[in-house]
Amino acid sequence: MKKTILFLSFVTLTGSLFAQKKTTTSATVNFDASTAIDALPKAENKTVTAAVDTKGGTVAFEATVKNFAFSNPMIQDHFNGDKWLNSDAFPKFTFKGKIADLSKVNFAKDGSYTVQVTGDLTIKDVTKPVSTEATIVVTGGTLSTTAAFSIKLADYGITGVPIDAGKVAKEPKITVSAELK
Amino acid sequence: MLKRILLGGLALVLVGAGIYWYIATDTFSDTKDRKPAFTVEVIDFIREFQQNDSLANLKYREKIITVNGMVSDLESPDTATVNVKMTDTTSGNFAIFAFQDQHVEEAKSLKIGDKVSIKGSCSGGSLDGILEVIKIDFKRSALNK
Repeated sequence: MKKTILFLSFVTLTGSLFAQKKTTTSATVNFDASTAIDALPKAENKTVTAAVDTKGGTVAFEATVKNFAFSNPMIQDHFNGDKWLNSDAFPKFTFKGKIADLSKVNFAKDGSYTVQVTGDLTIKDVTKPVSTEATIVVTGGTLSTTAAFSIKLADYGITGVPIDAGKVAKEPKITVSAELK
Repeated sequence: MLKRILLGGLALVLVGAGIYWYIATDTFSDTKDRKPAFTVEVIDFIREFQQNDSLANLKYREKIITVNGMVSDLESPDTATVNVKMTDTTSGNFAIFAFQDQHVEEAKSLKIGDKVSIKGSCSGGSLDGILEVIKIDFKRSALNK
């Protein structure tokens, strides 16, 4: 009997621990560097991995650079090229951070929560701090999250004539949305 | 003489504008109409990345690939998105296909366990730092049949 109780306790504990980490392989990251004179430099990556640890409040996402889909082939080539993201050498964007005000969220109760997420975004092996507001909607244990922030391309060593000429935004907007289960 | 120079200049401007217009309005063609560089069975394909992802990336990345296999999962975080997964159940490594806009409706008709043939633009694969399994990404995918 004791063994059965011990076993059931272990199973429950293991299940509970596992449930703390919510993940998805279908988060979406939108990259929008369009400007008033060029609407083309924007793309979407729909197969981004993301995770939220509801216990510790850690947040992470990882995007394959080559999976950003642009409408225009030439812009996509430039985006992946040596002078820009150099995706052959640096194949991923990564973000690792945490929910700064985790106590504001009750993951056991359906509702919409606005939180502050802080962390480090790594692009081309350059890591810079990012802090942004994020929305977490809890629905039956599923988390629907969205966050938007801007990055300075120059911070990541990305410069060039199209940026100086105003055809590519110096500070593109990054929008991350994910449904985590 | 001046007239010739002006006409020549005008012709150059028109040619330049035409080239710019062509490049600026160019879009990716329908993947369904593209000829694949390779046709593979998903388990063999995933295991090539497992054995040597550098070689596999050199071989497949940025090419149109037709992948045959079984749907292991469907992920639809919003109405405009259906991602199809094919997984090697022995390792947990998987390929994931994001569909081209005009083919999302086709993906919605799929069910877990369906045997499918999907053609897409391979973005490469490597160990995912979050899930700690190999993930191979595809964009602009379409059902092959």
